[in-house]
Amino acid sequence: MTSVDPAEKRRLFERLSSVREIVFGVQDGVLTTAGVLCGLSGAVSQHSQVVLAALASTAAGALSMGAGAYLGTRAETEVLSAELELVRVEAAAKPYTVQEGLLDELCKEGLTREAGYRIVRLLSTAPKALASTAEAKMFGLSGGTFGRPALDGIVMGLAFLVGAVVPLLPYMLIPGPRYDLGGALVATALTLFGVGYFAGWLAHRDDRWRSGVRFLAIAMSAAAAGYLIGLAISPLGATAG
Amino acid sequence: MLKPGDPAPSFDLECALDGRIARSSLAKICSELVLLFFYPRDFSFICPTEVTGFNKALKEFAAEETTIVGISIDDVDSHLRWARELGGIGYPLLADPDGNLARAYGVFDDQQKVALRATFILDRKRKVVFAASCPLNVGRSVIETLRIVRALRTGQLCPADWKPGVEFGPSGREF
Repeated sequence: MTSVDPAEKRRLFERLSSVREIVFGVQDGVLTTAGVLCGLSGAVSQHSQVVLAALASTAAGALSMGAGAYLGTRAETEVLSAELELVRVEAAAKPYTVQEGLLDELCKEGLTREAGYRIVRLLSTAPKALASTAEAKMFGLSGGTFGRPALDGIVMGLAFLVGAVVPLLPYMLIPGPRYDLGGALVATALTLFGVGYFAGWLAHRDDRWRSGVRFLAIAMSAAAAGYLIGLAISPLGATAG
Repeated sequence: MLKPGDPAPSFDLECALDGRIARSSLAKICSELVLLFFYPRDFSFICPTEVTGFNKALKEFAAEETTIVGISIDDVDSHLRWARELGGIGYPLLADPDGNLARAYGVFDDQQKVALRATFILDRKRKVVFAASCPLNVGRSVIETLRIVRALRTGQLCPADWKPGVEFGPSGREF
């Protein structure tokens, strides 16, 4: 029989809650930078200018994504906390509404009305247990639902940086006008495939390869679109110059 | 929903009474008044406050020659277990699993598939003399229902908030 340590499982869930920021940040960093490199390679002839622009884009992107994640999580936490507080106030004033609501949810999940009633009645002997169960069952909210704004911001910013470095490094290090971009694209493709595979592995999916391929397809589409847009606007640069 | 003056639809249904399954028929009730109260479900959290509330006031209603009958869409086995859970109920809980009786009284909530919290008082001729309904989330007042029964029994003009001891309205008038 497998024993499950709730505390250990809880810590694991807390760590996994940052997966969204990591996957989102790395994906965005890789794609944005690869897109910038592709676009500028089509529009600008000097290698150093492309690298400088990509570095600036990386710094701005990391800060922007980090700040965005921080502000977004903070706003979400504030809104959800306020809503939960309203529910708690109403539950204290009208416990019947919470009891009936929770009973309905338990019945929807397959319990008989009688069994659900007994569970809710037992929970009602401990108001905190009733409130937290009702929040989870009726509204899908629990303490773990709320993100940590500062952590989310830092993780997102760092993930973007890591992702951005992936195509940038080969572009900077590999000499030659074609090989540098090719190296960046290969690194981008491999990384996105790896991120997709990693996400599939975390989700215990059997089709991790498909998850990786989906990320790869998105990367190729974005890169191709960026390159084509760069080509399309390059005559404008020539006119302005 | 039926209104005062309408003839009350009859019934002859299985019920839970005194811890056993029985039958209850409107035709066989011989008290002066009959109090029918529909409630949404057994094993819920507002209904038991009403069901036990009427049970506690059973003697007072009996003193007013009034028979109490509770009705919901639950089956009779559920009523039995529910009544046991509540410590025993001294009046019949009728099983109306198809909601036909609730429909006949015009108090079936088609959306929720339950009866509304509706109260009817029937007179000796089994005509409706009082009808009221509450939203599903609001329980009824047993005290107010008893006050209305007492007022109906006087056959007099009873002003607002009338209760025994308070002067009646002018005699010889209908309202």
